[in-house]
Amino acid sequence: MERTFNLPDLGEGLEDAEVVEWKVAEGDAVELNQPLVDVNTAKALVEIPSPYEGTIVKLHGAGGDVIEVGSPLVTFEVADDAPVDESILAGAAARDGDESAPKREAVLVGYGVEQGSKGRRRTLRPPGTRPAPVPQRPADPGKVQASPVVRRLAKEHGVDLATIAGSGPGGRIRRGDLEQALSGREPAPTAAPAISPGTEERVPVRGIRRLIAQKMAKAWAEVPHVTTFRTIDATWVDALRRELTEESGVKVSPLPVVVRALVEVVQRHPKLNASFDTEAGEIVLKGSCHVGIATDTDQGLLVPVIRDADRKGIATIARETAEIATAAREGRGTPEQLTGSTITITNVGTFGSEYGTPIINVPEVAILALGAIRERPWVVDGELQPRRVATLSLSFDHRIIDGAEAGRAMTDLATILESPFHLGALPRR
Amino acid sequence: MPEVTMGQALTQALRFSLEHDDRVLILGEDIGKLGGVFRITDGLQTEFGERRVFDTPLAEAGIAGVSLGLTMAGWKPVMEMQFDAFSYPALDQVISHAAKWRYRSAGTLNVPIVIRIPEGGGIGAAEHHSESPETYYAHTSGLKVVVPSTPIDAFGLLVRSIQDPDPVVFLEPKSRYWSKETGDLEPNGLPIGAARIMREGDHASLIAWGAMVSRCLDVAEAAAEDGVSVEVIDLRTLVPPDLETLATSVRKTGRAVVVHEAPMILGFGAEVVARLMEDAFEYLEAPVLRVTGWDTPYPPATLEEHYLPSVDRILAALGKVLEY
Amino acid sequence: MTHDTFRILAEDGTVDEEAREGLDLKDEDLRQLYRYLAITRAIDLECTALQRQGELAVYPPAIGQEAAQVGSGYALGDEDFVFPSYREVGVAVTRGIDIVDYMHFHRGTWHGGIPDPVGKRFSMISVPVGSQPLHATGWAMGAVLDGTQACAIGYFGDGASSQGDVHEAMNFAGVFRAPVIFFCQNNGWAISVPVEKQTAGKIYRRAEGYGFPGVRVDGNDVLAVYKVTREAAERARTDRVPTLIEAMTYRMGPHSTADDRSRYQPEEQIAEWGGRDPIERYRRFLVAQDVVDDAFLEEAQNEAKARAAEVRKGIAGAPPRPVEDLFKWIYTGDELPQHLARQRDEALAFAQEDDDA
Repeated sequence: MERTFNLPDLGEGLEDAEVVEWKVAEGDAVELNQPLVDVNTAKALVEIPSPYEGTIVKLHGAGGDVIEVGSPLVTFEVADDAPVDESILAGAAARDGDESAPKREAVLVGYGVEQGSKGRRRTLRPPGTRPAPVPQRPADPGKVQASPVVRRLAKEHGVDLATIAGSGPGGRIRRGDLEQALSGREPAPTAAPAISPGTEERVPVRGIRRLIAQKMAKAWAEVPHVTTFRTIDATWVDALRRELTEESGVKVSPLPVVVRALVEVVQRHPKLNASFDTEAGEIVLKGSCHVGIATDTDQGLLVPVIRDADRKGIATIARETAEIATAAREGRGTPEQLTGSTITITNVGTFGSEYGTPIINVPEVAILALGAIRERPWVVDGELQPRRVATLSLSFDHRIIDGAEAGRAMTDLATILESPFHLGALPRR
Repeated sequence: MPEVTMGQALTQALRFSLEHDDRVLILGEDIGKLGGVFRITDGLQTEFGERRVFDTPLAEAGIAGVSLGLTMAGWKPVMEMQFDAFSYPALDQVISHAAKWRYRSAGTLNVPIVIRIPEGGGIGAAEHHSESPETYYAHTSGLKVVVPSTPIDAFGLLVRSIQDPDPVVFLEPKSRYWSKETGDLEPNGLPIGAARIMREGDHASLIAWGAMVSRCLDVAEAAAEDGVSVEVIDLRTLVPPDLETLATSVRKTGRAVVVHEAPMILGFGAEVVARLMEDAFEYLEAPVLRVTGWDTPYPPATLEEHYLPSVDRILAALGKVLEY
Repeated sequence: MTHDTFRILAEDGTVDEEAREGLDLKDEDLRQLYRYLAITRAIDLECTALQRQGELAVYPPAIGQEAAQVGSGYALGDEDFVFPSYREVGVAVTRGIDIVDYMHFHRGTWHGGIPDPVGKRFSMISVPVGSQPLHATGWAMGAVLDGTQACAIGYFGDGASSQGDVHEAMNFAGVFRAPVIFFCQNNGWAISVPVEKQTAGKIYRRAEGYGFPGVRVDGNDVLAVYKVTREAAERARTDRVPTLIEAMTYRMGPHSTADDRSRYQPEEQIAEWGGRDPIERYRRFLVAQDVVDDAFLEEAQNEAKARAAEVRKGIAGAPPRPVEDLFKWIYTGDELPQHLARQRDEALAFAQEDDDA
């Protein structure tokens, strides 16, 4: 069988050697340790003895050629029982022609330094991007587990950590748990101000908060935002969602209904489902409609994506939205589930807002905010009636979409949502 | 019950070991007839003979080197380095050989030596007599590093160190040689590698070894007057460290201060802090602070008290961690 | 060669009968010496080749110093204890050390090179220069305490003689009357520093300062080395008087296979000493004295080659030890302290990933 002998590191701290004189020729039979070649390592002339008894098949280089340490020097034909080299030495690994084996740079007293880093196997997750699992009670109520930063915040806000459920391992209270608890509280009337009057406090912006900040700044800076509003009678939307909840067994909120209606609108107004390639100066119209649903979590803003929403029914959208959100919180969210939307919708109604000027989820070009559905006085057939009313806010990239077009899209959306007939035509499952 | 000084306890430990194991040898400079400059080996040569308790030439590398050769002939040398700084000439024999022979021989050799080193300051001494060299040894894998803080524990720890088949650097806090304790000398006390809770407390943990343990106990007394309950831990062994006891205490109190005479940079306190960060992070109410000698050469005697961690400096550090 | 250098065989193999007086070697011993010399040379050349083939990390050749090592090694008794530096392969061969184990040191398989030093009366390879004579002295002191009739021999070079530990070892030995031989192979070079730059005096003369005899011997005369070492061993065991032997020889190879000696070692000097091959000199003597015939010489060469091939077989392609060995022998006892157990588990986990990958 054939064995290739690669130039070993000769312990002289060099990377290569020049062939000065071959002592053998191709076809020669050689004995073990028979001198093969004199090489010049630029510091000294070194004679290399043959590691095998066999026949020379190939000499890899002529006189004057420079050969790198670890590269083939001589190929032999040896007897089948020649010793198999399992050593860790770079010479050996490279001996079998394995180019990917780490090469060593020789030093005075040993094999030498390994060049190049080993391939990496693990990836990192920036701090704060790991979504929180379901909160649990701490294992030992006597001793609350919480990181130093959480303790500081709790103290500042006058919160007793023992009253908070921690979502970290072993019930550890994470910052998000604390913030969630804080956001749900009524402000204590006698609570001391967190920051002493006349002083300032600095809170570092890190992790996902920082990413969001950067993204928002970029969107704001690059995209001329205009928002157009439409207040609609959402009574039928409400009715449909109740119907579907009963029918499908899935909890359907108004949001999936609006999502599906938006998807219809986008078919007629494809520029809403696009991105703007400024370098090429082109509007990139997307063939698929992946709707991002901006969701607020204790890890920050996540955007679960309903892929190919145009091929899904309202109940499916409702179910998937819940599933992806849960997966994201439990740290199981895949990139496919959390990125890649072509248009986004944000349900600002969940925190009580009625309308707003949402920032576009670049590189998209439009974002729809659904406001809170409230009982309001409405005019129905010339008469004042209390109806369930909501405002839709559509922010769009005014570089490529005009107010007129946006207005028309909104009108189409309103038409669907206010009409039991059009609503009924939306795929339900 | 008898009262005994640390020096006397150490002498007793050497006597005990010479009696119970006839392969134990004691060697060093001035340890024979003179009984050692601190009298730790007082009377031993008379009792056990020059064959087993003998003076050497003034050559620390030589003392360590021949001790290694002696182990190969089946002996268990207990050598004395006269003062902390004078152990440095022997560092090559200790680091390059003593620490590594078991490893290098794939377990066929072991090195049952004890290197006794009076260490630390606080005795108003001349230059080079007040060093705390524990980091050099603790950083060398293969050695054990033991530091008693009280007389009775010193007895037990030295007896165990001599019995230990591995090389032990036994650091004797010389400023405590004359400290007294009442009680029986017990050869089977707490083993090497176990830390001891000297005083229980709830508000903060004070971690120290050697001479600083008694200082920390003074600090805990003072703190108690202010209603602050301080737990004091005597580490007793730097390597292998008792991570369990340290972590348990700090998980309980949530606050810790480490105290040592040695300079701050890479003093063993840095190791303790790093371990507590890993093992007790989520229980910490405050950062773990260190109170140490300054990062200067050891000062002249007249300025010594401004260098060594004082009761007030330790109280100040406690104060800081309590504010969190 | 100066007048103070003891020698039995001239370069051409002829014998100084007066010097030979008292040499207690039978013909069989004379032949065995030759065998050891031939084996040492063959193994030494093989190991240099192995390094050039990438099978050893670095190898310090002993070529040229075979007589000094074999002659002294052969003069020791079974109970005597050897404390080598890192070039004493000839002593190892003569004392029956497994050379495959020894060469695993140079392969980087593990440290030490000598499993069971106490059992083999051969201490581990010592790299910190000049540190091992102290161990020899210490062992010898320990032997005296037990009444053991044996001596230690500590090997070191002309370079090592400058180290403080060597002075301390000899001083201790003189004071404690330790049965130890201090064997200095003055091979002319400490890497690139010639002995003239290493010390201004004659190394063997230092013994006087320590209170015991010193002798200079032609290190390339295996019989002279043998005789002088034998006397020193007896002096040590019987009288408890150490001896310092300075064996004048020459480092025919580089300091190690990583050394570029053309930068400092004069070609003429190498050539001159090349004409003084200790094995060649001894062969001439054996032939002239009719102690050997061609058949023996051939058989000895074959045996030497076979021994070298054995080393090659044991070394080439040998795998590294398992990763867990990194943590096995830090302390005595099976259980690792916690701080080490954690690290071992981590190291093994990463190693497992490497395996799985």
